[in-house]
Amino acid sequence: MRLWNAFGPIISLFLKERRGMLLAGALLAAATVLAGIALLGVSGWFITATAIAGASAATALVFDVFAPAAAIRFLSLARTASRYGERLTTHEATLSVLAGLREQLFRKSSQPSTTNSLSLQPSRTLFRLTADIDALDSFYLRILVPAAVALGTAIVVLVVFGTMHLLFGLTVTAWLLVAGFGIPILAARWSAQPARRRAHGLEALRSRTIDVVAGQTDLAMAGQLRAYRQTALAADTRLATADDALNIIESKVIAGFGIASAILLGAVLYGAVHLVEGGDIKVPIAVLGILVSLAALEPFAGLRRGAVELGRTVLAARRLGPGLVSASPPLPFQAPTEDMAIELKNVSIRFGASPLPSLQDVSFVLEHGERLAITGASGAGKTTLLALLAGEVEAESGDVKYLPATLLTQRTELFQDSLRDNLLLAAPGTNDDRLLEVLAIAGLAEFIEASPDGLNTRLGEGGIGLSGGQARRLALARLLLRNAPLWLLDEPSEGIDGETARDVLKRLADQMAQHTVIIATHIRREAELADRLLVLERGHVKASLHRGQPEYHAFLESLRPD
Amino acid sequence: MSSAQSSVITIPRDGLAAEDIAERNASTVSLADRRTGNDNIPSLVQALASLLWLPQAALLATSAEMMVAGDLANIEWIIAGVIAVGILRALLDAFGTRLAFRNARRRLSEKRREAILALARRSPLDMDKPASGLAASVIAEQAEAVLPYLARYRPARMKATIVPVGILICIFPLSWVAGLVLLISAPLIPVFMALIGWRAKAASEKHLAEMGGLNAFLLDRLRGLATIRSLGAVDHVAQRLRANANELRIRTMAVLRIAFLSSAVLELFAALGVAMVAVYVGFHFLGQLEFGAWGYRLSLGEGLFILLLAPAFFEPLRELSAVWHDRAAGEAAIEALDQLSITGIEMSGGEMEPHRSDQSVGAASVEIKDLTFSHAGSQLPLLDGFNLEVQAGERVALLGASGSGKSTILALIAGLAPCQSGSIRIGQSLLDENSSELIRKRLAWIGQKPHIFSGTVSDNICLRRADMDDEDINAALQTSRLHNVSNAKGHNYLGEGGAGLSGGEVRRLALARAAIKSDADIILADEPTAHLDMVTANEISDSLLAMSAGKTLIVATHDPILARRMDRIIVVGGAGSEGEI
Repeated sequence: MRLWNAFGPIISLFLKERRGMLLAGALLAAATVLAGIALLGVSGWFITATAIAGASAATALVFDVFAPAAAIRFLSLARTASRYGERLTTHEATLSVLAGLREQLFRKSSQPSTTNSLSLQPSRTLFRLTADIDALDSFYLRILVPAAVALGTAIVVLVVFGTMHLLFGLTVTAWLLVAGFGIPILAARWSAQPARRRAHGLEALRSRTIDVVAGQTDLAMAGQLRAYRQTALAADTRLATADDALNIIESKVIAGFGIASAILLGAVLYGAVHLVEGGDIKVPIAVLGILVSLAALEPFAGLRRGAVELGRTVLAARRLGPGLVSASPPLPFQAPTEDMAIELKNVSIRFGASPLPSLQDVSFVLEHGERLAITGASGAGKTTLLALLAGEVEAESGDVKYLPATLLTQRTELFQDSLRDNLLLAAPGTNDDRLLEVLAIAGLAEFIEASPDGLNTRLGEGGIGLSGGQARRLALARLLLRNAPLWLLDEPSEGIDGETARDVLKRLADQMAQHTVIIATHIRREAELADRLLVLERGHVKASLHRGQPEYHAFLESLRPD
Repeated sequence: MSSAQSSVITIPRDGLAAEDIAERNASTVSLADRRTGNDNIPSLVQALASLLWLPQAALLATSAEMMVAGDLANIEWIIAGVIAVGILRALLDAFGTRLAFRNARRRLSEKRREAILALARRSPLDMDKPASGLAASVIAEQAEAVLPYLARYRPARMKATIVPVGILICIFPLSWVAGLVLLISAPLIPVFMALIGWRAKAASEKHLAEMGGLNAFLLDRLRGLATIRSLGAVDHVAQRLRANANELRIRTMAVLRIAFLSSAVLELFAALGVAMVAVYVGFHFLGQLEFGAWGYRLSLGEGLFILLLAPAFFEPLRELSAVWHDRAAGEAAIEALDQLSITGIEMSGGEMEPHRSDQSVGAASVEIKDLTFSHAGSQLPLLDGFNLEVQAGERVALLGASGSGKSTILALIAGLAPCQSGSIRIGQSLLDENSSELIRKRLAWIGQKPHIFSGTVSDNICLRRADMDDEDINAALQTSRLHNVSNAKGHNYLGEGGAGLSGGEVRRLALARAAIKSDADIILADEPTAHLDMVTANEISDSLLAMSAGKTLIVATHDPILARRMDRIIVVGGAGSEGEI
C-alpha cells in the first residue's frame, strides 16, 4: 500500500501520457521473448522428430519438412522484427513520458512554497532532481516491461505444459511464478535500505568534495583540511559499503535464478520422461518442453536490475510523486483600496524554524505613482520585504494588500534561449517591432543592430554571453514589457560599473511615470530616484522620511556615493 | 544463457565531450585495459560458468537419446547431473560477479581517493586547479560510470572472446557445416553492426547528449524561478518545456530508428544462426543433406547438442552489445578522474602531521625578502623582488588596485603556495615545507570569499575542531557581531554559497572564524570591506581592529578608509613598484 502511494501518481502519469504505446511496447517485448522461446522449442521438436523419422527410409520420405522449416524461418524473422519494434516503441514511450514528467516537475517546483530549498541549496536540489528523474527513467523499461513479459511467458508456459498434462503445466507455472517473482521481490525488499543509503552517500560525497575544494583555504588555516578530506573519503567508504550490499543482493539474485532454473530444468526433464514412459506424449514434444523450460525463467531475470534499483526508484517516486497530482493554489492575493498601491499593517515574516523574525511589525502605505526607496544595512530585511510584495513569501501575521507586481531581481535572471524568447517570457505573443522598441528604450538598440542574428541571438546558461550591463538592460526591457502597475527593483544597478549604472538608472527613471515603484538599495544614486525613504533595521522600520525633510537629505548623504 | 538484457536509454551527461576525451586517449587505451593478472580472474570465472553449459547441454542431449531409445535405466543420474551442473554454474556466475565487482569497486575507491588527495594538496593559487563544481560532479556522479565499465563490460568482453571459441571447438568435430554456419554469422555481426551503426552511432550520441540538454533547460529555468513567477510566465515556460521535449523526442526517434537496426541485425543473425543449424540438422537426419559430418551421420544426441549450443554461441555477443555503451562512459570517467589527480602547484606542508612542537615560536613578526611570484603561463611576474618587514604587534595595510598582488602576498605568508624565490620568515622560523603547518597555527585568516559549509552558523565557525566549546563559539560570535544572525538562524542549515546571508554577514562569519582561533598572534585579512555599504564596512573595520589588539595585523585592501586606520600603509603597485606611506 505504501508502495502504491509512492507510485500511484507516477503510474497514472505514465498511463495518461501514452497508454497505447506503453502497452504496445510491452506486447512487442513479450512477442520478442516468446518468439525466441518458440524458435528454440520448435527447433528441438523438429530435430528430434526428423531423427526418429530418419531412422527408416520410408518415414523419412513422407515426413513433412515444410511446415516446421517455415515456422522456424518465420519465428527467426518475427523475433528480429518484434525486437526492432519493441525497442522503437519502448523508447518512444519513455521519451514521451519523460517529456510529461519534466513539465509536471517544473510546474510543481514553481510553487512559491517549494522555492525555499531551491534558493537556499540550488545545486544540491537540482542534482537531486536530475538524479530522481533518471531513476524514474528505469521504472517503465526495467520494471513494467519485464514484468509484463514475464507474465506473458508464464501464460504460454501454462498452455504448453498444460496441454501435455494439466498437473504438469500447473506445477511448472507455479514454480515459475513463485521463483520468478519471488526472487526479485525479495531482492527489492533487501535492497530498499542500501539503495537509499547509496543515494544519500552520493550526495554526501558530492557536497564534501565541494567543501574540500572550495573551502580549502579556510580549512587549511583552521588546521582542519586533513579532517575534512577524511570525511570526503569516508563518504566514499560509506558509498562502497552500500554498493557492496547491493552487489551481494545482485549476486544472490543471479545465483537464485540460476538455481531455480536448474531445478526447473531437472523437474521438467523428470516430468517429461515420465509422460513419455506413460505414453502420454511423444519424445519430440518432450524435447520441445525441455527447450521451452530452458528459456522460461530468462524473462523473469530481466527484472533483476529493476528490482535491485527499486529502492532508489521508490525514493525518487516519493520525492517527485506527490506534487504531480495537484498543484497547491497560489498564495491569497488581496487588492488594496482605491488610489492605494500598497497597504501593509503590522506585518511579520519568519523563515523556517528561525527563532527571530526577518520582518517585524512593518506597516506603511504607498499611493499610486509614489516612489519609495528601502534602505538599511545588509540583513535588515529589504529583500524579504520585496519578496513579500512579489508573492514569493507569505506573511506570518498582519494585513498585506498590494497591486500586481513585477520584481526585478538583484541577480539578473536570464535563460539559455534566444533573445526573443527571453523577452517573450514577460508578454507572450508580442510582435518583433514592439520588442525592438522596448530594447531601444532599455538602451540595447546598438547591441541588437550589431548582432548578426538580431532577436534570434542565443544566450548561454543563465544569460552567459552578455555583459553585466547588457544583462541588466535586457531585464529592464522585460520589466517594461510586463507593464505591471507595481515595480519592485532590488538594487537595480548593483554589479555594473558607474557609467553604465547611471545610464540604466536614467532609463528606468524615464519609464517610471506610470508606475508605483519600490527600490531596495544602499547606494545613493538609486535612492535618489525615490521621493520617500524607508529605513529598516533588523526587520523593524527605523524611520520613514520624505523628500524635503532635513533628515531625508542627511540620510541620503550617508549612503554610499557610487 | 544468462539473463535477457533489457536495454535502457542512457543519457550521457556530457555525451560528445566524453567521447572526445575517450577518442584522444585511444592511443593510451585505458589504465584498466593495461592491468592484467589478478584482474582477469573474475572474467575467467564468469567465462567458465558460461562454458559449464557444454556438459549440461550434453547431458540434456543424452537424455533425449535415451528417451528415443526407451532405455531409461540411468535417467535419474542424468537428471541429477543436469541439476548439479546447473547449480554449480549459477554459483560460479554469482561468484564471478562478486569478484568482478569487488575489484572494480576497489579501483573506483582508489581513483576517488587519489583525486581527493590531489585536490586537497593543490594550492588555491594554482590557476589550473579545477573548480569545485566540476570536481564534485566528476568524483561523485561521473565516476559512477567506472563501476559498470570494470565490473560488467570487461567480463562481457572476455566472455565474448572465450565462450564462442570453446563452443566452436566442441561443434567442429561433430559437424563442420554447423560450425561453419556459426563461424560465418558471428564475424558478420560486428561487420554489419559497424556498417549500419557507423554514422547512426555518432548521430544518436549527439541526440542523446541533447537529452542531457533537456535537463539543462529545466535546471536553467528552475534557477530563475523568481523571475519567471514574477513575469507570470510559469505556464508559458511549462509549455515550452513540453514542446522542446517533444521536438527532441521526434528528432531522437528519427535517429534511433537507424541506430536500432544494428541491434536488429545482431538479433537477426543470432536467430538465423539457430534456425539454419536446426534446419540443417533436421534435413541431415532425413538424409537430404548427407554431407557435413565428416562422412558419418549425426546421432540425435549430437544433433540436439549442436542445437543447444547455437544460442549459447551468440549469447556472449548479445551481452557485450548490451553493455557496449558502458565502455565509452567508463573510459571517459577514468580519464576525468586522472585529470583531477594531476599534481599542480602544491600548498606547502599540506601533508605534514600537525605535530605539537615545543620549539620556540618567536615574536609575531613577518619578514619578506626578495619575494617573486608569477602565475603559470604569465609573462610578467605578479611580484618581483618584493620586500616587507612587519614588527610584532604592528598593523599594516597593503593598499593596491585589484590584481596588484596584495592577496597573493597574504596567501604566500600563509604558505598556501611555495615562494618561487625569496624567503618569508615568521618570528625566527623560515617558512618552508616543514614549518608551514606549524606556522599556520599562529595565523588567523579572514578571506574575501569564505566558503560556507553545509551546516549551521556554529558549525561554520567551529569547523569540527575538537577543542572548541560553546563558550569559545559565543565569544567569537560576540567579537564578530554575528550573534544576531546566529540567533536568527538557530540550528537551521545555511544555504549553499551563503544564500540567505547578506554580504556583510558572510564577512562577519570570516571574522568569527579568525576570532575563535584566539591563540593565533598574526591576523591576515583579505579585502574585508570590499563591496559593503559604509555602515557595515565601518562595523567590520571596528571588529577587525578590536580583534587584533596586541596582535600583528596585515590587511590587503583597496579601501582607503580602512587603510588609514592602520599603523602603516604599503602601496603594492605593479611589479616591484611598492612604496610606503
